[in-house]
Amino acid sequence: MTLTGVDYIIILVYFAFVIGIGWLLHKRVSTSEDFLTSARSVPVWITSLAFVATNLGAQELIGMCASGAKYGIMTSHFYWVGAIPAMIFVGLFMMPFYYGSRARSVPEYLKLRYDEKTRGFNALTFAVMTIFSSGISMYALGLLFQLVLGWSFTASVMLSALIVLIYTFLGGLTSAIYNEVLQFFLIVLGFAPLAILSVWKAGGWEGMAARLPAVMTSSWKYMSHPSQNPMGVDLFGMIMGLGFVLSFGYWCTNFLVVQRAMAADSMAGARLTPLIGTFPKMILPFIVIVPGIAAVALMKMDVGYAIPMKGDTYNYDLALTTLMAKFYPAGMLGVGLTGLMASFMSGMAGNVTAFNTVWTYDIYQSYIRRGAPDSHYLWVGRLSTIFGVILSIGTAYLAQLYNNIMDLLQLVFGFVNAPLFATFLLGMFWRRATGHGAFCGLVAGTSAAALTHGLTVAEGKGGWLGAIHEFPSTMAQNFWVAIFAWSSCFVVTILVSLFTRPRPEAELRNLVYGLTELPREGGVVWYRRPTLIAIAAGIVCLLLNFLFW
Amino acid sequence: MWDLRTPSGWFFVILGVILCAVGIVSPGARAPLTDVNVNLYAGISMLLFGGILLWMARRAS
Repeated sequence: MTLTGVDYIIILVYFAFVIGIGWLLHKRVSTSEDFLTSARSVPVWITSLAFVATNLGAQELIGMCASGAKYGIMTSHFYWVGAIPAMIFVGLFMMPFYYGSRARSVPEYLKLRYDEKTRGFNALTFAVMTIFSSGISMYALGLLFQLVLGWSFTASVMLSALIVLIYTFLGGLTSAIYNEVLQFFLIVLGFAPLAILSVWKAGGWEGMAARLPAVMTSSWKYMSHPSQNPMGVDLFGMIMGLGFVLSFGYWCTNFLVVQRAMAADSMAGARLTPLIGTFPKMILPFIVIVPGIAAVALMKMDVGYAIPMKGDTYNYDLALTTLMAKFYPAGMLGVGLTGLMASFMSGMAGNVTAFNTVWTYDIYQSYIRRGAPDSHYLWVGRLSTIFGVILSIGTAYLAQLYNNIMDLLQLVFGFVNAPLFATFLLGMFWRRATGHGAFCGLVAGTSAAALTHGLTVAEGKGGWLGAIHEFPSTMAQNFWVAIFAWSSCFVVTILVSLFTRPRPEAELRNLVYGLTELPREGGVVWYRRPTLIAIAAGIVCLLLNFLFW
Repeated sequence: MWDLRTPSGWFFVILGVILCAVGIVSPGARAPLTDVNVNLYAGISMLLFGGILLWMARRAS
């Protein structure tokens, strides 16, 4: 793939706009909260698109297209099962506590609700995780640009990191969020034509269905037994593991996304953020997954398209970029590549802005220096933005050198994350849950995750403690690891809580169901009522599942 | 506080103008697997989208 002058002009226009938006916003930053939390001032249509965009990193875009090619429309489970229900839940039931508690971050909510050690555990693991995930996606982007465009790894990593640094340093969270909206539009307009052109060329959905094995064009029909579907996943593992534990764990407790809703200008806005976000989220599979399916259909048509090979298997990660090279002429190719960069930047800026908030408020202000004037924390927030970016770059190089260490770290983070939703669920809806209970639950859940992984094997992974069970795929193994982790955390938190002293109810006001005044929805126009939006989202999501049954 | 729709609108208007220009100047430019003037059609859609954002921003102020 080679770029021409016009493609570079488009990339430069994009750079100018994202930095320009950061510049326009820098005057609004005068306190640490302006910089780190947007001082709760962002309109809801912006926060809801940012909520979706911050998750739509380059790895997501490339990975979902790859999964589309590998598994077919079943990949939509990651959206219509693994995201929408959790997004509805967090908007309807959890935002009143996150937003109402006036916590500035998710770890801070844990501190208010439970105790210092629970917050410390969450804050530290989260801070390390954000750095690593932005570093890993930077590595993936650098590698892709090296492979597809022949750009130097160092140049593309440094340039994209520098742009993200400039605009987040200037305008803080507000700048990251505003740019995420622009980036979201660009991703959609940059990739929707690819979906249209590739599906059209492959003979429309019917033409594709005629050329592909039936399992690739139905999302549920082959779920009854793991041996029937290419994911190797059973129905229970899919619904409980992905649809409940992993998805609720991500969308309801990960500060990366929750931060966007917490930046909204009102309680209603905070609740509507994930709810309105469900609509663009539901549409995304048509843009990110369907081209991957079309790629496989095109390969069977003898039109001169093939997904490149890596050894003796297909390198599905290249499906997206090879499609772009075949369907986009110079000009539109620049837009598509800019869209890819935009998705990388929105993911990375999300990580950086979540990192600097947790670092400044939950680590620095809590354990290193308390009680300093706000200007000091603003300064720390800005510095931690720079350090966050530098550390991410370091991680990208580490990933280049030691791929196995990265795999191991991602595995360990998975263990730490899997039980989290049990802690939040009990914290928000059971006033008897205690700090000791929550902490023991998290430790037990993380250990259970590690133990499950150590005792089972799938595709040669795991089983380091001796295999007592074999899963048909690592995906099934991941889902079941999550299920065991969540259940252990849930049970242990309850048991330990019953034997430890609960906090007095006066301290739990605005933090727990039953001790919090729930937001009323009367007196607002119908389309601004969270419950109605949630019902509408639920119906559309069900319809989509049936449509591709 | 300025409206985000204004800069986003301008961004897509500019992209739309560039793509339309490329589509008109070199109407024969084709990617290997398509016989459509992709640049022209994508450019028109972006002009429209940017225009709608600008119009909404104007109406709101």
